[in-house]
Amino acid sequence: MNIIQKEIYWLDELSKEYNDIVGKKCANLGELVSLGLRVPYGFALSVKAYETYMEQTGLKETVSQIVEKATKTGLDVEKEIDKMIEMSAKIREAIETADMPPGLGREIATYYSELQKKVGIPDVACAVRSSGAVSMPGQMETYLNIRGEAEILKHVKKVWASAFTTRAIVFRIQNNMPISWAPIGIAVIMMIDAKSAGVILTVLPTVGDLDRAIVEGNFGLGESVVSGEITPDSFVINKNEMCIESKSISEKTKMVTYAECGTEVCQVPENLRNCSCLEDNEILEIVRIAKEVEKHFGNPQDMEWVVDKRFTFPENIFWVQARGAKYTKKEAGKDEDYVIDLMLQLFRK
Amino acid sequence: MKIYDCVPGLEFDESVDFAISPAWFQDATHSVPPWTPMFGWFWVNFCRHGMQYGAEKLSLPTVKGWDWRFKDGGGYLALLIVQDPEERKAREERFRVAIRPFLEDFPGLWKGFVDEMVGRYDKLKALNLDTATNIELLQNFEDTISTCRRMWEIHMYMMYGVYTAFVLFEQMTKQLLGFDDSSPQFHRLMSGFDNKSFQVDKGLFDLARKAEAMGLKDVFLSTAPAEMKKVLSQTATGQEFLKTFDDFMEKEAGWRLERMAEINVPTWLEDPTPAFAVVKMAVEKGMSYNLDEDRKKLEADRFAAEKEVMEKIAPEQRAWFSMILKLAQNSAWFSEEHNHYLDLYAHAMVRRSCMGLGTRFAKEGAIDNKDDILFLMPDEVRRAGINPGMFNLRPLVERRKAEWEQWCKQGNAPAFMKEGFTFEDAMGGLVGSMDPIALKVVVGSMPVVRPELKADLFGVCGSPGTVEGTVKIVWTEAELSKIIKGDIMVAPTTSPSWTPVFSILGGVIVDRGASLSHAAIVGREYGIPVIMNTFEGTKVLKDGMRIRLDANMGAVYILDK
Repeated sequence: MNIIQKEIYWLDELSKEYNDIVGKKCANLGELVSLGLRVPYGFALSVKAYETYMEQTGLKETVSQIVEKATKTGLDVEKEIDKMIEMSAKIREAIETADMPPGLGREIATYYSELQKKVGIPDVACAVRSSGAVSMPGQMETYLNIRGEAEILKHVKKVWASAFTTRAIVFRIQNNMPISWAPIGIAVIMMIDAKSAGVILTVLPTVGDLDRAIVEGNFGLGESVVSGEITPDSFVINKNEMCIESKSISEKTKMVTYAECGTEVCQVPENLRNCSCLEDNEILEIVRIAKEVEKHFGNPQDMEWVVDKRFTFPENIFWVQARGAKYTKKEAGKDEDYVIDLMLQLFRK
Repeated sequence: MKIYDCVPGLEFDESVDFAISPAWFQDATHSVPPWTPMFGWFWVNFCRHGMQYGAEKLSLPTVKGWDWRFKDGGGYLALLIVQDPEERKAREERFRVAIRPFLEDFPGLWKGFVDEMVGRYDKLKALNLDTATNIELLQNFEDTISTCRRMWEIHMYMMYGVYTAFVLFEQMTKQLLGFDDSSPQFHRLMSGFDNKSFQVDKGLFDLARKAEAMGLKDVFLSTAPAEMKKVLSQTATGQEFLKTFDDFMEKEAGWRLERMAEINVPTWLEDPTPAFAVVKMAVEKGMSYNLDEDRKKLEADRFAAEKEVMEKIAPEQRAWFSMILKLAQNSAWFSEEHNHYLDLYAHAMVRRSCMGLGTRFAKEGAIDNKDDILFLMPDEVRRAGINPGMFNLRPLVERRKAEWEQWCKQGNAPAFMKEGFTFEDAMGGLVGSMDPIALKVVVGSMPVVRPELKADLFGVCGSPGTVEGTVKIVWTEAELSKIIKGDIMVAPTTSPSWTPVFSILGGVIVDRGASLSHAAIVGREYGIPVIMNTFEGTKVLKDGMRIRLDANMGAVYILDK
């Protein structure tokens, strides 16, 4: 396919073919849009944008020099951790404090301004997320609830800088990758005003039951569910008959919400704690859509959803992540074996 | 001429048979009243063969099927229990492999057997008995013997496999959900399935509607079932109706006998009087076949029950639990459908072949009339098969018939027990065998007497519900005609050919039965309450009594004391 190399793309211009250009997260979100999923509005900064920034600010040279100096006499990853922390701090400070080149800065500002118009909210709060071409889970930063042009530009730089966290540097050394060159993409997407959020797996992961899906959720943003800090509400759905087979409503004391900048953990109001974080129709709609994605990719999916309180059902369901689910594959005939064991016990009475 | 045993090698002989088992139970469901020698030969030989075949094919760990004996027209059975623990272990290993087809594709397994049997029946039916040579008639008889033998192999292999799953499911509901197969909740899970037997009944009701539509209602109301064919054939409309009727008999309903386990009554095809009686009853009583609609309700209720049950099962247990549930549900419809394709159909074939030979034997002078052939056994038929005119079998027939009449008069003992052995000991042996057929068809659950209910009779729930109505005691199919809408039928057991009457019944009470007995299965499908294993319902209750039946509690109350 013909790919026009740009520094910034709208999410709906992207698909998984753009993986190397905008990073995995952005390409995936673009793919979700192309599947017809409702994804929060936003745009993607490509690897090229990162390159432009590093070259035009002279940071490319600066970073090379810092790395060269630190590694001149060799670098023992295990013994010289202090040296690496120091190197990381120097590089990150340089990236975060350099001035945005005017051309690139203007372009980002234009896209942000367009985004405000699309959503209809001035200074719309956004998530600024790293989007590496190769997956390095948890190694690069994500900033939530960022408002206004200046803050956006500042946090874009912070995400670029996060490619040089100590962890990321160690990872590159251990994987024989160049230390000083770490191109990443960035997703800037509107924040959802979340009533509730969580995950759906289109398979029961521990038993490999492909006929059922499990939805887990909590009030507020999805971080509390993904991080596993609280016991979320849990729903098991029969995918064939599209019926909810079980509901486990937990007492949810804490949730994650927006703070002035970023997010914070706060108390769930007393009267909501023992209420379901999803309506039945919302659960079934989440399953219905996830089933379509599963069908498209041909394997069970692990997807993150958010219900936005500013919209009405079914326009209130947004998707922020879709990836292949990790699960224990059911061995063929395992249930049969178990049933036969039970039968034999019957005869042993 | 020397008279041989009816069932050579398998006549009960207490001097040796108590060494095999200290107790032999009468099969009261099938061998009361006593069998004719010919049918006894077929049943004892091949039901016995089938049970041992089925138990062996599946390698049931604890039981090798049943042994059978013939005594004065009665069938007597004893379980062949595996005693050696090492042998049980070895059988367990083979069972693991053998049971697999039931778990993987039960409907496919069953369909294969249905096709095989229907193919065999079609071949047997292809011979025109009137024009066939003696050699062909004899060959047809030999083929019928092997068909009947094969029928029992399939019958018992399937029954052992599917009932094992049923017993397991009941165990699971007890352990995981706290109810057993006498609970209404359990029955909700087993209801709302169609089967071939019901489709035949539906055909009969459809004929009643057709008769009305053709303006034949008055003819049906004013004519006795036995005269129906003659009267109908006198008018053009009647003849047109008969064409449809005969076609239906030939293709679907005709191959059944009033008594499932005997061949001395005509098939419906030979004498359609019972079929006309059902159609007449449907016309008279305005019975309509609303089973399809009822089934939809039952099916919806089953789905609801399945959902309720599944919610109580932990998610990681659901996959295998639903597998067992599905298998157990298979046994519910299989129990009823197998009667159509196996017992009823195969025995109709035995009847057909015997009557073909009987007619020829009578014509050529070996016996006086065709029915006399039922007082011979196959070796004696073979003796005269090719040249019936050369052999006089009357002395044999006379002596056997005299004996049979004596058997019928005296009746048979419910069990033969070695001295010092009690009925309780014997029942304990049955339960200890873990034989799923013994548990779910022969023995069933024992009624729980709840004195606080102050009921007059206790039994076990076969189908849930509560109803009030008038008692009608029914011993034979002929007595079905006295039933009016809403009556409660009280019977020793029920027979598959009685099914049509269930649609006007208010409820059913049977002396003996378990959750996979005919009365329970049909009662569930018609959504009427059934109480089983009252043991003495036909003694305690009298015709015309008003009673209240609470199947959920297994209790019967006499209202007009």
